[in-house]
Amino acid sequence: MKFNFLEKYWSYYLIGAKNTILLAILAVAFGVLIGLVLALARVGKNKPLGFVATAYVEFIRGTPLLVQLFIIYYGLQAIGIRFPDIPIVSKVLGINFADFMAGVITMGVNSGAYVCEIFRSGIQSIDKGQTEAARSLGLSERKALRFVVIPQAIRNVLPALGNEFIVVIKESSIVSVIGIADLMYKANTVRGNTYQPFEPLLVAALMYFLITFPLSKLLARIERRMRANV
Amino acid sequence: MSERIIEIKGLKKSFGKLEVLRGIDSHVDRGEVVVIIGPSGSGKSTFLRCLNLLEAPTGGKIWFDGAEITDRKECRGARLDAHRRDMGMVFQHFNLFPHMSVLENIVLAPMKVRGIGRAEAEKTALGLLERIGLSEKKDAHPTQLSGGQKQRIAIVRALAMKPKVMLFDEPTSALDPEMVGEVLAVMKDLAADGMTMAVVTHEMRFAREVGSRVLFMDEGLVTEEGTPDELFGNPQNPRTKEFLSKVT
Repeated sequence: MKFNFLEKYWSYYLIGAKNTILLAILAVAFGVLIGLVLALARVGKNKPLGFVATAYVEFIRGTPLLVQLFIIYYGLQAIGIRFPDIPIVSKVLGINFADFMAGVITMGVNSGAYVCEIFRSGIQSIDKGQTEAARSLGLSERKALRFVVIPQAIRNVLPALGNEFIVVIKESSIVSVIGIADLMYKANTVRGNTYQPFEPLLVAALMYFLITFPLSKLLARIERRMRANV
Repeated sequence: MSERIIEIKGLKKSFGKLEVLRGIDSHVDRGEVVVIIGPSGSGKSTFLRCLNLLEAPTGGKIWFDGAEITDRKECRGARLDAHRRDMGMVFQHFNLFPHMSVLENIVLAPMKVRGIGRAEAEKTALGLLERIGLSEKKDAHPTQLSGGQKQRIAIVRALAMKPKVMLFDEPTSALDPEMVGEVLAVMKDLAADGMTMAVVTHEMRFAREVGSRVLFMDEGLVTEEGTPDELFGNPQNPRTKEFLSKVT
């Protein structure tokens, strides 16, 4: 095995990693937002809202991420939604901003369904007595959720949520198929340029691991700290 | 003479096909300690939980402090929350909020519901903690407390809202025997202070010593009621006699 291509191409991996991280951060933020809204809709009393949220989750979980990516990538254009290409942003990213947003939205929309289920199970794992105590003190349904149920639920869902963040980082490699210059895309470029089909992938795998492993350690630490605070 | 704070007419509650309350007429007067006793499954807890609508009655009416809280407009949303803040409730399993310190548990509702400032809410909370002798636990978390301490704090948490009536749902049933006394002592103290209370309990001595009126419930109905002396000294209903002979 020869890794001397790194001398010439090491910066490709850095740019790719930067884009992967940026995409994952935005997708996770977007996914958590969607997931929280969906979860509240699912545990709430409003039947139609709950139905919409359930349908969303079932549909997203039941269709491949790749199909969703293409639907959003081509579909947004087909219905006339085109993110304006902001030249400065595109330049900084080294990729087309509109394409990048299609990737972010797909990953966010997809992750939102899973995050919804994580939050929902977290909220439902809290003893009913907690809500009853809060309501008996005069807290509204919303305040009981906000001050009593959700803070406890977050502690319970932290491991699953951390896992989901890591999944988003890894699965985001799929956006390379629509030409977003993420880590996977850059690795493919290196493979093509060097005629080495194998070694550049090992480097990419190592890079992904270098991103996810510290994150998983960090999450474990936060989790421990929150437990200590009980 | 004394003024009604809670009035109950024809209260019914069913869970599916199971009829738990079958038409209860009763009342609680201001300053009174009403103790509800009866065999398990008689509907005592459900009755108490209907009073602040934690269980929605399937029939009948309840008035609290002059307002019919089972009215369609009163039994939901902000109106319901407004009624509940004047009714403290203490649960069998304490239900303290485990992610908050003792002090935070107590000041949460006064601050978020009544809109009282932190300084004032904490002052009230510390005063109440002092009264039950748990001042030094103010920064402890519920997991660090004994069952008896948890329940005393749960009582204080409800009191911090300055309720007009306190509902106790088997407050000592989940406690180790040696901790029952400390909780009952707080409740006695509260009764002596003139607090209006409705208490579901198996503590017959408490019912006898502190109760101003005792209701005996059986199969979803109040089948006998009277002063503790009447009910314990000379029960009329054969079911009451049978129950009392088993528990005392």
